Amino acid sequence: MKVSSKTKTKAKEIDFRAPEYYFNRELSWMKFDERVLSEARDKTLPLLERVKMLGITASNLDEFFMVRVASLKDMVHAGYKRRDIAGLTPGEQLHELSIVTHDFANMQYSTWGRSLLPLLKENGIRIISHHEELSDEEGEYIDRYFEEQIYSVLTPMAVDSSRPFPLVRNKTLNIGAIVTPLKSANLLNNGQEKKKDKKGQKEAKPDFAMVQVPDVLPRLISIPSDINGKKDSEKTFIFLEEVIERNIEKLFLNYRIECAHPFRIMRNADLTIDEDEAEDLLHEIEKQLKRRQWGEVIRLEVEEGISPKLLDILVEELHVEDRDIYRINGPLDLTFLSKIASLPGYDELKIPGWTPQTPKYMKTDEDIFTQIRKGDILLQHPYESFEPVVDFIRTAARDEATLAIKMTLYRVSGNSPIIAALAQAAENGKQVTVLVELKARFDEEHNINWARTLEKAGCHVIYGLVGLKTHSKIALVVRREEDGIRRYVHLGTGNYNDTTARFYTDMGLLTCSEPVGEDATAVFNMLSGYSEPVAWNRLSLAPLWLKNRFLYLIEREAEHARAGREAHIIGKMNSLCDPDIIEALYKASSAGVKIDLIIRGICCLKVGIPGVSENITVHSIVGFFLEHSRIFYFLNEGNEEFYMGSADWMPRNLDRRVEIVFPVEREELKADLKHFLSLELSDTIKAHVLTPDGSYVKPDRRGKKAVNSQRELCREAKETARKRKETVEGRRFIPEMSPV
Amino acid sequence: MKLFAAIDVGSYEIGMKIFELSQKNGVKEIDFIRHRIDLGTDSYNTGKISYDRMDELCNVLKGFKEIMDTYKVDAYRAYGTSAIRETQNMRIILDQIKLRSGLTILPLSNSEQRFLDYKSVALKSENFHSIINSGTAFIDIGGGSTQVSLFSSSELIATVNLKLGILRIRASLNELEPSSSNYERLLNEIIDNEIHTFKKIFLKRLDIQNIIVVDDYLPYILQKLLKDGISGETKENAVAGRDNSVTAGQFVKFVDKLKEMPPEQISSEVGIPMESTSLLKPSAHIIKHLIKAMEAERIYVPGVTLSDGIAYDYAEKNKIIKSGHDFERDIISSVDNISLRYRGEQSVSDLLSKCALAVFDGMKKYHGLDSRGRLLLDIAARLRDVGRFISLSAAAESAYSIIMGSEIIGISHKEREMIAYIVTASYPGEITYDDIGDSSNVDEKTYITVVKLTAILRLASGMIRSYKRKYDSVKAQVKDKELLITISTDDDITLEKGLFFENAGFFEEVFGMRAYLKRV
Repeated sequence: MKVSSKTKTKAKEIDFRAPEYYFNRELSWMKFDERVLSEARDKTLPLLERVKMLGITASNLDEFFMVRVASLKDMVHAGYKRRDIAGLTPGEQLHELSIVTHDFANMQYSTWGRSLLPLLKENGIRIISHHEELSDEEGEYIDRYFEEQIYSVLTPMAVDSSRPFPLVRNKTLNIGAIVTPLKSANLLNNGQEKKKDKKGQKEAKPDFAMVQVPDVLPRLISIPSDINGKKDSEKTFIFLEEVIERNIEKLFLNYRIECAHPFRIMRNADLTIDEDEAEDLLHEIEKQLKRRQWGEVIRLEVEEGISPKLLDILVEELHVEDRDIYRINGPLDLTFLSKIASLPGYDELKIPGWTPQTPKYMKTDEDIFTQIRKGDILLQHPYESFEPVVDFIRTAARDEATLAIKMTLYRVSGNSPIIAALAQAAENGKQVTVLVELKARFDEEHNINWARTLEKAGCHVIYGLVGLKTHSKIALVVRREEDGIRRYVHLGTGNYNDTTARFYTDMGLLTCSEPVGEDATAVFNMLSGYSEPVAWNRLSLAPLWLKNRFLYLIEREAEHARAGREAHIIGKMNSLCDPDIIEALYKASSAGVKIDLIIRGICCLKVGIPGVSENITVHSIVGFFLEHSRIFYFLNEGNEEFYMGSADWMPRNLDRRVEIVFPVEREELKADLKHFLSLELSDTIKAHVLTPDGSYVKPDRRGKKAVNSQRELCREAKETARKRKETVEGRRFIPEMSPV
Repeated sequence: MKLFAAIDVGSYEIGMKIFELSQKNGVKEIDFIRHRIDLGTDSYNTGKISYDRMDELCNVLKGFKEIMDTYKVDAYRAYGTSAIRETQNMRIILDQIKLRSGLTILPLSNSEQRFLDYKSVALKSENFHSIINSGTAFIDIGGGSTQVSLFSSSELIATVNLKLGILRIRASLNELEPSSSNYERLLNEIIDNEIHTFKKIFLKRLDIQNIIVVDDYLPYILQKLLKDGISGETKENAVAGRDNSVTAGQFVKFVDKLKEMPPEQISSEVGIPMESTSLLKPSAHIIKHLIKAMEAERIYVPGVTLSDGIAYDYAEKNKIIKSGHDFERDIISSVDNISLRYRGEQSVSDLLSKCALAVFDGMKKYHGLDSRGRLLLDIAARLRDVGRFISLSAAAESAYSIIMGSEIIGISHKEREMIAYIVTASYPGEITYDDIGDSSNVDEKTYITVVKLTAILRLASGMIRSYKRKYDSVKAQVKDKELLITISTDDDITLEKGLFFENAGFFEEVFGMRAYLKRV
C-alpha cells in the first residue's frame, strides 16, 4: 500500500479535465466487449462456456448499437457538436466506432468460424451453415419440415410499383431476394396485369421480395441423428433461414429467384420520453414501445457474399450509410449461441453449475426478523442464496405484525416470487407500496404488466418519477412489535430478480437499524411525492446528495494523504465515467492516495499518467458470473468505511436517477467485504488490468498464486455452509429406529 | 405504547409526523411526511383559498389519512395555522377536508401555535435550559409572521409578533417586481422597517447572546454549515454540530454569500428544491437582521416543527410524559412583563393573584373549573391594572384594549378574549354578566367560565384596597355554604372589608354563597 512520494504533485499545476486524460465512453464500452470476446477465445475454458461468451458479445453489441450508436446518430442529426470528456465530437465518435465495431464483428466471426464451429463439430455438435452442405437424406427431412412446420408461418412480400417496400422490423432476421416474374403469370400481383412499358411489352424487370424469418420458430432446427446413421450423442442443426432459403421458390411461385440472402437490421431504439409533457406516463411508454420498431436503421448486417444488386436495393430503401453495412462471414445474429451453450448434456463442455449456498449469517430454522434483530446480515449473491430476500417479503406478507411493505422494483424475473408475495401481502390487508420503474430499458412492457398485476391485488403502485429513473434497490417492512414500531430494511446492489441473482454478483444488507429505517421511510415518502427530509442519517441518495457525498469521501482521503497519512480507496462498480468523480480521483491520486478500482465495463479514467493517475489501478473481472455489485472502501485514517449501493460512478446514476448508497457498519461484515475486495484485486485468472495505453491485459502471474476470485468465493461459500451443517447436525440426537 | 399522528396544515407546507408515545421512551418520531403547498399566498392575497388548492389540500390529507391507517394510529391532532386561520372560507375548507379525508382540522391561534413550537424545543432540546440561562431570543419564523420571545435568566420576559412572514415578504417583493440587483436591498428594507420599533422597545436593556430558531428552511443551512465544518473547515463546528448550533458570524457570512448565488446554486449547495429558495432567503435575512439587532453570538436551529409540539403537548396532557419544564411559569412571566410594560406593580399583581387563586382553590368543589381556568384567572389578576397606565378613569376599557392587543404565548385568541372580559367585568359597574353573554358570541361553557372567574376576581380585588398591603397567607374555605377567607397579616384591612362586602354580592349571585373576610 505504499505510494510513491514523487507522485504527490501540486494539484494546481495540472488541468485534471484535459481531454487527453480521459477515454471516450463508447470506445471503452467496446473494450469491455473485447474482454468478453477474449473469454470466448480463451482455449482454457470449456467449449460451451466459450460459445456462451460469444453469444453475450452479440447481444451486448446489439444493445450498444440500439442505445449508444443510436444516440450518437441523433446528436449528429441534431447538429450537436459538443465534445465529450475525451474531446471527441459525436461525428468523430461515430467514425472511430465504425472502425472498432467492424473489426470487432470480424473478430467475432473469426472466433466462430475458425475456432468454435469446428470444435463443436469435433465434440459432436454439427452446425450446418449453408443448406448446400446437407446430405440428400437431410435435405429431404428438412424440406418436409419446411412444408409441415414453417411454410404456413411465413409471409412473403414482394415490392413493385404498386406495393411499397415493406417495413422491416428491428432486430429481425429476413431473407431478401431478387425475383423475376415468369412470362406466363403474375400471381404476386393478385391477378392484376403488370404495367406495360413504353413499347407495350410486359415488364420482366427483377423485383425485390423478402420474407421475415419468423421468431416464433426455433432459430436452430435439429436434424435427427438416425437420418445419417450417426450416434445419438451427435447432434446436427441447421439455421432456420437456411431452410427457408433452400425452399424459397415455394414462396414465390411463378417467379424465378435470382438470388436470396439473409439480412438483419438494427434500428434506433433509444427510448426518450418527453416526461414533462406526458400526461400519463404509462400510456406514453406504451406508445414509445410501438414506435421503437420503426426507428432509423443504424446497422445493416448482410452475408459476406450478398449480391451487389440486392445490397443496393437494401441500402437505398433502408437509407443506410456505407459504414453501417456489416458484411458477415457466418450466420447473422449470434445471439442463438446461448441456446447451443445450454444444450442438455455435454457436461464436460460446460463449467459445472453453481448452487447458491445458505448465507453465512443466516439460519434456516429461525424467523428472519429475529435473525435481523440479532445484527445486520450481509448477503453475497450468487455465492449465497437470494432466497432470504424472497423470504423477507414472503414472511412479511404473512406476518400479523406487519403493517406495511414498501419496495422499489426495476427488473423482476418472469415469474417473480417477490411479486407474488407482494400481491399476497396486499390481499392479507397489509399496506403495500411498490415503485415499478417503467423506464427500465427493454423491460418496459414487462414492467407494465407486473405493475397492473400488483394494482389488481390492491397494492399502491407508483409508476416511477417524472424525469428520473428509480434505480435504487430498497425494501422496507414496517412491523408493530411489542415494544413499538420496528422497521426492517433490505438494501441491495442488484435487482429484486431471483433469476439474475443466480448469475449476477451482487450484495445485499438486511438490517433493522433505526437510523437506516428512518431513512428508508423518508425514501418512500419522497418516492410517493412528498418532500425530502432535512437530513439523512445513513443513506446517501442520488440525484441530490450522492455525488457530493462521494466527492467529499474522495477528497477526505486526499486530505489524509496530503497530511502524510496512509490513504486508500477501493471502488468496485460496473462503469466509471463521471468527469467530476474522475477528476476527484486524479486529484486524490496526485495527492498520494492509493486507488484500486474494479470496473467491469466502461472506464473513462486513464491509469499511469505521470502526476495524475500513477497511483490508480483498474481491474476488470469477466468471469462465469456477471460482476455487478457496487462497493466503495475508504481507509479514512484507519476508521475504515464501506459503502454499497445501486449507483455506478456515471453521470446517469449520479445526476439522473434515484440511487441509494448505504454504509456497512457491522465489523464482521466489513471484514467480509474487505476480504471480498482483496480477493477480487488479487485475481490472476479472470481479471484484466488496464494499461496506460488503454488496452487491457491479463495480470502478470509470475511469482503469484493463480487466483480465480469467483471460483474461490464459491469454494468459501460452500465451505462455510458445510461447516455450519456439520455443527448443526453434530448437535442433533439421532434416535435408533429399531432395536440393535 | 400509543401511536399518534400530528398534522400541521401550514402556510406553505402540510406536514404529518407519526410518533410513538410511551412512558418508557417518551416521544419518539417514526415518520415525517411533508408536502409543499402554497396556501398562504392564496389566503393572504385574496382572503380565500382557491378551489384548486383546496382540492390539492384534500388529496394530500387523504394520503395522510391512508398513512395513518397504515400505522394504525391510536389518536391524532390536526391543526391549521395562519393560512387556514386567515382565510375567509375557513369553515367551508374545514368542512370539505372533513368530508373528503375524514380528518378534523382545528384552527390554531398564533399564540397557541408559537407556544407549541416553543414547547417542542423546550422538551426536545437537551440543552434548552442551559441556553436560556443566558439572554436568549426564541425566534419562530412562519409564513405570515415571526414570533420573537425573549428570555433573560431563564425567564420569559416578552413575546412579540412581527408581521414578517416569509410568504408575506415574498408576496410583497413580487408585487414590487424587483430586479436581481435591488432584490436584496428591498428585502433588507422590508425587514428593517419591521424590526426597528421592536428593537427600540424590547432590546434596549437586554443582553441577548443566543438565538434559537424554529423554521422550516434554516435547518438546511445549518446542515450545510455543519457539514462544511466537519469536512475540516473548523473544528469548533464539528463539536457544535452536536447541539445544532453555529456561531452567528458563520451564519451571517453564509447569508451574505447567498446574495451572489443564483437559485440553482442555492438549491444545490443547501440541498433544497429550487422553488423553496425564494422562501429560504427571507428566512435567512430575518435571522441575519435579528442577529445584528441583538448582537447575538450563537445561533441554534434545533430543527423542530409544529408537529413535534403537537405531540409533546398531547403526550403531556395525557400524562404519557412528564415535563421537566414549567410552561405555565413562562406564560405567567410573560404576562408579568406585559403588566410591567404598563407600569404595573409586581407586588400588587402577585398579591391579587394570590388572593384570587386562594379563592379559586378553596371553591374547587363548587366552581367545577379545571386548571386551565385557574391559569386564566391568574393571568386576569396579573393584568387587571394594566388599563390604569392609559386612563385612570377608564381603566377597565383600556385594559380590555391592551389585553386584546397583546400576544400572550400559550393562550388562544378565544382565551385572550375571555381574560379581557374577566378583567373588564371585574371593575364593578363596568359590564354585567348579562353583557358578557350578549356582547360576545360565546358558547355556554365559555360564558359560565367567564362569569365565575369574574366573580372570583372581583371578590379578590376587593381584598386589596391599598397598594401597600402585605399578606403572609390567604386561605379560603367553604363551610356551611359560606366562603370564609382568612388573611394572615399585620396590616389593618378595614378598608378592604368594605369593598369586599360590596363585591361579595356579585359573588353570591354567581355561586349562591356568601363570602366573608377575616384577618388573623
